[in-house]
Amino acid sequence: MTNLLWLQGGACSGNTMSFLNAEEPSACDLVTDFGINVLWHPSLGLELGENLKKLLNALTSGQMPLDIFVFEGTVVNAPNGTGEWNRFAGRPMKDWVTDLAKVAGYTVAIGDCATYGGIPATAPNPSESQGLQFLKRQQGGYLGTSYRSKAGLPVINIPGCPAHPDWITQIVVAVATGRGAELSLDEFQRPKTFFTSFTQTGCTRNMHFAYKVSATEYGQRKGCLFYDLGCRGPMTHSPCNRILWNRQSSKTRAGMPCMGCTEPEFPFFELAPGTVFKTQTLMGVPKDLPSGVDKAGYVKLTAAAKAASPAWAEEDIFVV
Amino acid sequence: MASASDESLRSRIIGLLTSGLATDVYPRADSHEQVQRLVCDLRLAGDDLEAKLKLAGFTSYPIEHAGITQLCETCMYYKVHQRFCELPELNVPVEPDWSCKLWRI
Repeated sequence: MTNLLWLQGGACSGNTMSFLNAEEPSACDLVTDFGINVLWHPSLGLELGENLKKLLNALTSGQMPLDIFVFEGTVVNAPNGTGEWNRFAGRPMKDWVTDLAKVAGYTVAIGDCATYGGIPATAPNPSESQGLQFLKRQQGGYLGTSYRSKAGLPVINIPGCPAHPDWITQIVVAVATGRGAELSLDEFQRPKTFFTSFTQTGCTRNMHFAYKVSATEYGQRKGCLFYDLGCRGPMTHSPCNRILWNRQSSKTRAGMPCMGCTEPEFPFFELAPGTVFKTQTLMGVPKDLPSGVDKAGYVKLTAAAKAASPAWAEEDIFVV
Repeated sequence: MASASDESLRSRIIGLLTSGLATDVYPRADSHEQVQRLVCDLRLAGDDLEAKLKLAGFTSYPIEHAGITQLCETCMYYKVHQRFCELPELNVPVEPDWSCKLWRI
């Protein structure tokens, strides 16, 4: 059996909802097929009060092994670094995080808040929130740059707002079945298997991206969402168009722009008015270009592609 | 393909631009905030064609700005085969060598 403990800090429970909707494998499969013993979870745990404290103390003292420590939400440090705004089982949650991370075989941060701080850490960050090992792009976070779990790995970051259910369960299974050491992480400690390709990879609107035909309203059945509606698909690392949501679709497929929620800077531009779902431009050129593309190349490519675009690209092609 | 009503409206716009309609060509809307302000003004202009052309700084010739020629032809809102600007606040037939302040690539 592999002992798994899931706690929540400054969180909306979105990642818990996502986790409970997992299909390949499902949350039940973790228990029945992969020998994962869910010691406690905010929505599934039975223990309350003193019994929960006993369980947590058994883990922090080493009396009971903690193989996988999953954390959802930010580490709340307010007020004044005390963490008293987020108390849990008789003490600040951040103190539990400190003690549990020390004894955990693997520590896994789920969702943008636990990984990079997410929305709670947006300026002015009144809850003094941090991610487990990052604050936005800056490495360190609550546990510090040098933190390593007992297995020798830093925090495994599975970002997203929320993280896709199957990213969560597949990583948990990999760890539980002894393949944790095979996990390859990128510079932001995301498993490369999920976060090397772009959200745009597999997007059904790629033809419109190629021919520079823009969608100008949400839900339009033609056009790329990058040019006008602020889609961050070309510069966001995620498999949202490879591992579909609800096995059906994705935001961009449904005509809504990607918000880049798997990147450390999310939410971008500190949610300033007019920056959400609107491509930010300077002298008519997008401020954020597709990864690896420079301004001169972008202008040349766009002009040529636009001139070559076929008539069908201007019509609805996703016909019901 | 462009419709007859598009052709008629395009002819009217050409007439306005060539007969001396003074449009606000400068300053260009360089920043995101300037663009947003202009889009708001266009919404207020509603269906008033002359007001829209004036606010958006329409010209029947290309404008070069910051080293880039800002042509309708290369603008993200331009529909090549319909010769049409589909920015919802403008929504007018155009020609590929025209220009306006809302150009974006």
